[in-house]
Amino acid sequence: MGELKNKIMFVVQRPPYKSEDPKLALTHALSSGVTSIHIDEEIVPTVAFIGDGVLNCIKDQKSMEAYGITSNERHIKNMLATDTKTLVCKEDIERLGIKEDRLIDASDMGAEMTIKVVPFNEILKEMEANDHLMFF
Amino acid sequence: MRLALFYSDLRGIESIYNRITAHELGVFLVSNGIYHAVLKENGKPSPILDKKDATFYILKEDLETRGFSDNEVDKRVKVIAYDDLVDLIMDKYEKLAWL
Repeated sequence: MGELKNKIMFVVQRPPYKSEDPKLALTHALSSGVTSIHIDEEIVPTVAFIGDGVLNCIKDQKSMEAYGITSNERHIKNMLATDTKTLVCKEDIERLGIKEDRLIDASDMGAEMTIKVVPFNEILKEMEANDHLMFF
Repeated sequence: MRLALFYSDLRGIESIYNRITAHELGVFLVSNGIYHAVLKENGKPSPILDKKDATFYILKEDLETRGFSDNEVDKRVKVIAYDDLVDLIMDKYEKLAWL
């Protein structure tokens, strides 16, 4: 691992499945570890869900059973299992009537990281703290 | 006209939807349209369910793909499987439209 460190924040603003954007964000964030090896720079991803993008974080997604495609839930669980900081906007889940117990967790995979519900203001601060921003 | 209308998004298609009328109208909530039957944004059900004289259906596969189940669906909406959807659009409606 090299000495350089890149902090990249992926911000997901669209609901899952109809658009590929959320899945692209998640798979890009997940690939950070491999990318670090190839470019000899440490990539530190953070993923935040805002607006209708918070709908990606609802658990029990059955896309594999219905359509044979990997669910966004699976990607998010893999992110949590690899200690990716994952934020979801408090105001948006409240606006949409989503209770926190409906959010994905990866404790069954042994993950210690959980989705953190935070006010939008905290997501803005995280944007400032990152070197790069990518909106999906 | 007997029209089957596929409602496939959460935002941005309301203005066209609100203007569409038919003698017999079936509204099929599919893809991201399913959120209208399960979310209560700001504590209120989706206004698209207020459309007069429409029959509402929701595609079970798209509902479950997004992490929801039958018991969370608004009572005005009938949960149907893909096979049922095919039967309905072949037997009950004469025209299809996709929003």
